[in-house]
Amino acid sequence: MTAAASSALNLRQRLTHLPRDTRDTLFHLAVIGWTIAPHLLHLPLWCGAMALVLLAWRARLALTAAALPGRWLVTALLVLAAALTLWSERTLLGKEAGITMLVVLMSLKTLELRARRDALVVLFLGFFLVLTHFLYSQSLGTGLWLLVAVWGLLTALVLAHMPVGRPPLMRAGWVAARAAVLGLPLMAVLFVLFPRIGPLWGLPQDAAGRTGLSGSLRMGGVATLAEDDSIAFRVRFTGATPAPAQMYWRGPVLSSFDGREWTRLASTFPVALRPRLELELRGAPLRYEMTLEPSRLPLLPLLEMTPDDDASAPRVEGWLLTLRPDGQWQVDRPLSERLRVQAAAWLDHRHGPREPVLGLRDLVALPAGYNPRLLQWAAELRAQPAYAQADAPALAQALLHHIGRGGYTYTLEPGEYGRDAIDEFWLDRKLGFCEHYATAFVVAMRAMDVPARVVTGYQGADPEPQDGWWIVRQRHAHAWAEYWVAGTGWVRIDPTSAVAPDRVQRSLSLRPPPGLVAGAFDTIDPALALRLRNAWESVNNRWNQWVLNYSRGQQFDLLRELGFEAPSWQDLATVLIGVLCSAALAGAGWAWWDRRRQDPWQRLQRRVQQRLAALGVTVLPHHAPRTRAQRVRTTLGARGEALAGSLEALDRARYAGGPVSLHSWWRQFRAAARGAG
Amino acid sequence: MAEATLPAPAPAPAPRGGSARQRLRAWWLSRLPLTDTWQLGQRNIYILPTKAGYAFAATLVVMLLAAINYQLNLGYALTFLLAGAGLVSMHLTHGNLRGLTLHLRPVAPVFAGDPALLDVVITSPARDRHGLALRFENRAAHGRAFAWCDAPAGGQASAHLSLVPPRRGWHAVPALVVETVFPFGLFRAWTVWRPAARVLAWPRPEQPPPPLPAAAAAGSEERAVQRSAGSELDGVRPWRRGDSMRQVAWKKVARSGELVSRETTGNASRELWLDWADGHGADIEQRLSRLAAWVLLAEREGLACGLRLPGHLLPPDQGDAHRRAALDLLALWR
Repeated sequence: MTAAASSALNLRQRLTHLPRDTRDTLFHLAVIGWTIAPHLLHLPLWCGAMALVLLAWRARLALTAAALPGRWLVTALLVLAAALTLWSERTLLGKEAGITMLVVLMSLKTLELRARRDALVVLFLGFFLVLTHFLYSQSLGTGLWLLVAVWGLLTALVLAHMPVGRPPLMRAGWVAARAAVLGLPLMAVLFVLFPRIGPLWGLPQDAAGRTGLSGSLRMGGVATLAEDDSIAFRVRFTGATPAPAQMYWRGPVLSSFDGREWTRLASTFPVALRPRLELELRGAPLRYEMTLEPSRLPLLPLLEMTPDDDASAPRVEGWLLTLRPDGQWQVDRPLSERLRVQAAAWLDHRHGPREPVLGLRDLVALPAGYNPRLLQWAAELRAQPAYAQADAPALAQALLHHIGRGGYTYTLEPGEYGRDAIDEFWLDRKLGFCEHYATAFVVAMRAMDVPARVVTGYQGADPEPQDGWWIVRQRHAHAWAEYWVAGTGWVRIDPTSAVAPDRVQRSLSLRPPPGLVAGAFDTIDPALALRLRNAWESVNNRWNQWVLNYSRGQQFDLLRELGFEAPSWQDLATVLIGVLCSAALAGAGWAWWDRRRQDPWQRLQRRVQQRLAALGVTVLPHHAPRTRAQRVRTTLGARGEALAGSLEALDRARYAGGPVSLHSWWRQFRAAARGAG
Repeated sequence: MAEATLPAPAPAPAPRGGSARQRLRAWWLSRLPLTDTWQLGQRNIYILPTKAGYAFAATLVVMLLAAINYQLNLGYALTFLLAGAGLVSMHLTHGNLRGLTLHLRPVAPVFAGDPALLDVVITSPARDRHGLALRFENRAAHGRAFAWCDAPAGGQASAHLSLVPPRRGWHAVPALVVETVFPFGLFRAWTVWRPAARVLAWPRPEQPPPPLPAAAAAGSEERAVQRSAGSELDGVRPWRRGDSMRQVAWKKVARSGELVSRETTGNASRELWLDWADGHGADIEQRLSRLAAWVLLAEREGLACGLRLPGHLLPPDQGDAHRRAALDLLALWR
């Protein structure tokens, strides 16, 4: 045996021979560590380090059976943790700070594990901590990891209530698992029927910090999105499918520029003078179905252009969806749950006012004092004889030409830009990604007095659909431009395609550097890696569709199947209460039955006694079958011989061991009794 | 035994004034049957949430609010999973007691002020039962001791409590509670059981024991020598119940294989009468304590002693049975 093997064996022996208290404490600490672990990825470094050190220290104290530290030390550590939280999070309230404190509190409380009550406090905190993980991720993997955590916490809870001896961990784990499994039907009923109501109060600010499109655009804002591989939405086309390069998912239209930030336009013109949508559709519609992840933004990035008529407009129970005059679909409140919509879009379309309206003046406005060199550059371009009388499309082509030939580079890491960011980009550094090209294009167009605006949204999708679903990720976030042409309306133009056609055609932004494992797979067999990834995403999609996607819409669908005409959440509550009441009634019925239930042997004895009484043989309840057989012989004589034999057989089977089927014996006995009667 | 002449113990703890709550409790307790074997079923198991149970419910409410506010479907799932497990634990806790049989073994008499051992046998027909606690119903009066035990499936376990009778005489075993919070500690199921058994407390022997009174003259007309005629040889007779180990003639036993005792004729001349009148001067309890101490002393010294109390007479004899009879007489006198 090697030294390593023998030391492993020693460790194992040591672990199995630990005193019960030590073993329970170590188990407890392991469960807490497991529960905290996923948080270490996004909590401040000091918090993870402090939690791990505290747990390790506590484990050492348990192994050496040393005394726990005094109360003042724990208090000092708590104050230190609060100060560090304040330092790293700038607040003690809010989600991140709350979770940081919760993790520290849990590990600190383990230093006070003296009585059963302390253990319960830690375990209940643990349940809450499990919930906080879902704020970051609700993926299948997270779910499984935390399911184990919950099992561990319940096992620790059971252990705390087995005061006698040294119960094996597996025994406690089995009891915990059994309780959880028996509770599954209740869980399923509550999960399906508990009314999904909206947030009860405004979400704290930090909740909106999730990645996704934002309603505004500032240099660098899209760069972080482009690196994010998480899924924005999934799409399935029921008929014809467009190429990913043709998929422009329209998000916020940004027309107002203050020199630093692009925002939505708040026009000062009266409504009648503002440009209207005036959508004109040509060709056949594309029908599609979308599952949107909660973006916490009040908008739907639908395919350009999805009109607002009865046949093609998206509709979702409980949500008010409207099409804005700038062509973007608006929702009455932020998407805080997964949403499924069906709609139809026309790729071939025209929109925007055909004739000039006064409101278009908003779309040539530029902030004073910003980007003077680009304005100068645009004026010089316009002054060239070839462009002096040029129309908007010619100017746009000129700009695209300039981007294509001017030495521009597409990169996700263009570096910091200063105050006159667009000047710097357009004339000096020439490094940027979609938002740089789109905004510079729009500023240049406006400088030449052509109405233009920035459109943000998503462009493209993953190259291959899975199970028929196209996946659009956050890294497909994109920015493009629209300029206005008299007689035509708005014209889409994607300046990025002039410098990086790949970005649009193959719909691949720069791939994020692969992780270690994914990299290894890629080098061995790229096809296998792709297959594995697709299989995983397809499982994940099912998980999303059936578990995470379950929301009010699905609940109402269920109620409709149950026969409710116009379901409301009150109906849900009614059904839920009805199901729970019937379950309670069933439980009461079982209790009633259980109360009258008798030991099968005793019931048989009673029935035998009744049967014998009918034959005129009096026996007492406590008489064994042997005694009864004697009574039968003395009372009935030869007539009861078969009966007595049967009773003696029962006696032998019961007291001399050996299996006996009471049911079949009873049938024999009844036959014998009929013979004797 | 002189038991018949003694007042039977009160059937229920007398409600001594007290608050309405105490009176209600006493009335409710008095409705329970007195029995030494207590079969647990739905009729006599009570169950309520514990403080931890309420804390758990509060945790679940907070978790539900978080799940609603952040629209976390997995948060809902987790909350409902725990709610389901919690509710199931109510049934498991109840089931941990349901079907058990409790039996109180006969309680051996003790001297007043010494702990009497209550030995409760818990029988589980099926399933392992964990974390069963046995305690007195009235913890203020009888102590807060808990006896924990686990009962194996189809087996028995015993739990012990000690009860200290303060005075001589019969004492009813106070109501007992068997409770459990297994598995999660969210619910507490318990049963209240009034055993029919009683504890006999002998008078507390005086310490240190006073010297024995002088032996009475042999041949007193009250004397009744227990002597078997005919069968003895060399002062040996067959062993009788009540003969102490010291009386057994072990050498003869080893030789003959029969259990024989030495005849105690030698001591008969030193036969002793313990008389109520000898303990003069002290009050009744002190006299009884002194007599009890003398009974023990005489036994230790191998003297046959008789007991003479007003209205009762116990002829002189030796052995455990005699000692017990004497102490019982003292315990129950008047």
